[in-house]
Amino acid sequence: SFSLFPSHTRLYYRYQDLAPQLVPLDYTSCPDVKVPYELIGTMPELKDNPFRQRIAQVFSEDGDGHMTLDNFLDMFSVMSEMAPRDLKAYYAFKIYDFNNDDYICAWDLEQTVTKLTRGELNAEEVSLVCEKVLDEADGDHDGRLSLEDFQNMILRAPDFLR
Amino acid sequence: MCAYYRNNAYEEDPGYPDYSGAQNHTRGYVKTRDYPDSPGPLNNSNYPSTRSNPYSVGSRSSDYPQSLAEPDYIGSQSNPFHPGSSREPGYPASQQNPDFADSRGGGHYASSRTNPDYLGPFGEPDYPGAQGNSNHPGPRSHSNHPGSRRNPEHAGSRINPYIDTLGEPDYPGAENHFKSLNFFEEPDYPGAEDYQNSPDIWGAPDYPGAENDRDYGSSENPVLSRTSSIQPSFHRGDDDPLGILGREDGDYPESIEMNSMEMANPYGHPVPGAPGNGYVNPAYVGDDSPGQAYGDPLLSGCDWLKSPQGQKLIASLIPMTSRDRIRAIRNQPRTMEEKRNLRKMVDREKSKQPRGVLDFHCCAQGLSSIALAYRRAKSSLSELLSSISLWQKTLKVIGGKFGTSVLSYFNFLRWLLKFNIFSFVVTFSFIIIPQLTVAEKNNLQFTGLEFLTGAGYFSDTVMYYGFYTNSTIRHGNGGASYDMQLAYIFTVGVCLVICFFSLLFSMARYFRNNFINPHIYSRGIAKLIFCWDFTVTHQSAVKLKQKNLSTEIRENLSEIRQENIKLTLNQQLARFCAHLAAWVVSTGVAVACCVAVYYLAENNSKFLENHREPGAVLLLPFVVSCINLAVPRLYSMFRLVERYEMPRHEVYILLIRNIFLKISIIGILCYYWLNIVALAGEECWETLIGQEIYRLLLMDFVFSLADSFLGEFLRRIIGMRLITSLGLQEFDIARNVLELIYAQTLVWIGTFFCPLLPLIQMITLFIMFYVKNISLMMNFQPPSKAWRAAQMVTFFILLLFFPSFTGVLCTLAISIWRLKPSADCGPFRGLPFFIQSIYSWIDTLSKRPSYLWVVWIYRNLIGSVHFFFILTLIVLIITYLYWQITEGRKIMIRLLHEQIINEGKDKMFLIEKLIKLQDMEKRANPERRDVEQLGPLHVREHDAAPDLRFRRSVQEDNPKV
Repeated sequence: SFSLFPSHTRLYYRYQDLAPQLVPLDYTSCPDVKVPYELIGTMPELKDNPFRQRIAQVFSEDGDGHMTLDNFLDMFSVMSEMAPRDLKAYYAFKIYDFNNDDYICAWDLEQTVTKLTRGELNAEEVSLVCEKVLDEADGDHDGRLSLEDFQNMILRAPDFLR
Repeated sequence: MCAYYRNNAYEEDPGYPDYSGAQNHTRGYVKTRDYPDSPGPLNNSNYPSTRSNPYSVGSRSSDYPQSLAEPDYIGSQSNPFHPGSSREPGYPASQQNPDFADSRGGGHYASSRTNPDYLGPFGEPDYPGAQGNSNHPGPRSHSNHPGSRRNPEHAGSRINPYIDTLGEPDYPGAENHFKSLNFFEEPDYPGAEDYQNSPDIWGAPDYPGAENDRDYGSSENPVLSRTSSIQPSFHRGDDDPLGILGREDGDYPESIEMNSMEMANPYGHPVPGAPGNGYVNPAYVGDDSPGQAYGDPLLSGCDWLKSPQGQKLIASLIPMTSRDRIRAIRNQPRTMEEKRNLRKMVDREKSKQPRGVLDFHCCAQGLSSIALAYRRAKSSLSELLSSISLWQKTLKVIGGKFGTSVLSYFNFLRWLLKFNIFSFVVTFSFIIIPQLTVAEKNNLQFTGLEFLTGAGYFSDTVMYYGFYTNSTIRHGNGGASYDMQLAYIFTVGVCLVICFFSLLFSMARYFRNNFINPHIYSRGIAKLIFCWDFTVTHQSAVKLKQKNLSTEIRENLSEIRQENIKLTLNQQLARFCAHLAAWVVSTGVAVACCVAVYYLAENNSKFLENHREPGAVLLLPFVVSCINLAVPRLYSMFRLVERYEMPRHEVYILLIRNIFLKISIIGILCYYWLNIVALAGEECWETLIGQEIYRLLLMDFVFSLADSFLGEFLRRIIGMRLITSLGLQEFDIARNVLELIYAQTLVWIGTFFCPLLPLIQMITLFIMFYVKNISLMMNFQPPSKAWRAAQMVTFFILLLFFPSFTGVLCTLAISIWRLKPSADCGPFRGLPFFIQSIYSWIDTLSKRPSYLWVVWIYRNLIGSVHFFFILTLIVLIITYLYWQITEGRKIMIRLLHEQIINEGKDKMFLIEKLIKLQDMEKRANPERRDVEQLGPLHVREHDAAPDLRFRRSVQEDNPKV
């Protein structure tokens, strides 16, 4: 049914282009195919994104970055401009939640900061930044950011994910 | 566990006929005894008192419904050991475990090792059957199972002994296992708690480690996966579809540790034992949502749909219209597959609901299919539109290279362009086209210089006010008549009113989005970190952005560090003086510029009399443009002296100074036009003003072009070649936006005097877009400071609204109500005031009875002072009320925020209490030590769980102590 939507068709071709030998042209016959992360990560949209691995993991079915077509479409629909901010905030939270424990803890923050700054900050600075972030955004003062904390902060941030 | 003990029992009784087959199986367990982490004695000591009781009785007899247990375990009856082993707390075999662990491991099972199929999987020290007693069955079992699963022979052979000899519920073989797993799907299954625990324990470590979690496998904290296996961590829900199941269970199992540990054994077994179903869980394959392994912290897949939450969602979706429903479903943070299922489910539910007559149903179906087709057509159309939408691709590239902040300038430019297109369409269709139908031939000579001066040939075209007729246009006999006078004033009026409202609404929208709670998050490091610009895709841009981000974070940190360091009095004084001096100088420069422009304008007429060349009129616009070019750069240099702590302050101060300069220059020019040009008695002063504005606009455009092509280019050459320390320059968003605002102000003022000005602005903006784009790509680097782009756009629109647009309204109001139109040209010739045309129109209407309502409206509403007085009063009252409401909400927000903090403290307090209680309990009955060891660990790892859970466990622990 997806072929009726032009955007889906276009995305399908992109998906197919990633791994022409894996993905058949007629998708209906082979729905279980997965494109490995190594190929997903080479897309221009993700190639230089510091969070590309996290993005692929969050959207892939098993958290390993290998994507079915559905996962692929999910990813693009969330990343598109038209997706509502709530949805984006939700997935952004998942992207920043490196250890998948549904909280952004200090460790997750360290990972984030390291990825964002390409490791240019030293350990002391990183931990200071994490402390400050927790200070600012941790609504219930439990030492880590829950989804609510995150949404609260991020949805008020006008520059978030546009 | 159960299985394990039962096996022991069999071993105790070597004469048991079926036992031979079972040996293969038990061998594995014995091996596990050898594993140092699972001390046999410990487990055993616990067994009689704590484990076996809840375990065998609880899980077997009470938790499993009889109906289930019986049919599944056909062999169980035949096994004399089964009932005894599982129910008897003092079961002999379990007490003999210590022996078992040692001796069996070595001797009795030596033979079993000869079977290579078994050795692989069971030889693993991690085997959970035994470790159920120890604290962590999960991770072990997980490492174990891949091996066992991969071995088909093993799987097959394992099933057999279980079925034959044991026939126990715990080793139900493949079929039983399938069944029991299938039951997990049933949310109302009475024993669901236990079932859910067990697959979770297995599923969690099993799945990620074995196949799914290729990426996490190593990185993931072993402690984490361990905890998840000890206790059904419903909140991790990361990779294991089975773990998610636990959530279906509304009633969280009471004693988590106990349950999970006990259940680990009996259920642990079947999962890997079932041939080939370690990965592909039959229960899930059969399920209609295979994609539930998706990393969802809540529930996933159909399990989620079946949960109360999911049901609630479905229930809320049913009454919606199909369009709303689709939108609501689309906005769910679920996978495509789940969304599809959700939709199917909702549709199914909906179809269950009673319907009207059958033909209505058909009709509805037809309608819905039409609606679907319409939606698809619309979506493809909107895609087509967005693909041809202006500069879509260019904007993407800019965003990718320079980020949202620079993108905001181009978006602003595009927004202004749309604004001008709209204005042009309105003026073109209501003023220009009617005028063109009665246009006279233009006899003036065209030289080409007119493009710059706007005079000469152009003054006799539709471009200027003076060309328009004051007559009523009438084509043919008895055709509709068109009063040019009214058309002119109404078109300009409507244009301005629409501009006013669109500005107001977009401003309000931006304010609502961007200034809601600015006081809570003061510094914004959090935003800095979490607002990674996902639009940026260009490689070097990403690198640069990362570098800039680290610089900014460093700056921010140093600010935080410096915050405590108080400046000395001298420093403060010096800084204050610097600020004061900068303000004095900047204001002085602005005033000097204004005075210069005023005198220049005043003497311009004399100058023009002396210099008859047509190019002489360009002097004033040239000077004004020079000021606009040079002074903002001077202002930018003040930053070297002022040294603001916050870069944002610097930008705002710069913006305020610049806008002050530009607006005062425009103000001075307006004063000059309205008070000197209009009263000088020139033959057609409106056209003169129009020409002036045209020249100003054009000169500004030329300067911008030159600046882009020469200034910025030269700057790049200097930065790259001569003084390399300067580097590439950054795109100055504030200055560029102010140029746009300045030009737009001129256009608004000029629309009345020169109706074609929106067209000219359209063209200039169009060219400017490409010029700026090229210049940006060639000469600039992305800004180093993280711009609060959205807030800045809000600020830009505010500036566009407040000094600019309101100033324009004042200017036009003065000219329309106070000034006398020129006597010989333009649509208002001969009238004492422009507004007189409206008065006379009302007078004419009042003579026609059918139009009396218009007259009434005019007299009582628009023209009435009392009405406006009352209106103002009402607006003031409403404003005051809203203000009070927002104040109240602010207090409310503060209180709620405090409440959240208190809740958090409450949670921490409860967790502490729980740990304390568990410690006390540990001291009270030391034989439960291993459970207690688990306790604090579990709490620490899993305070991720919601409050509810902790409260419950606290409550549950309280009676025990």
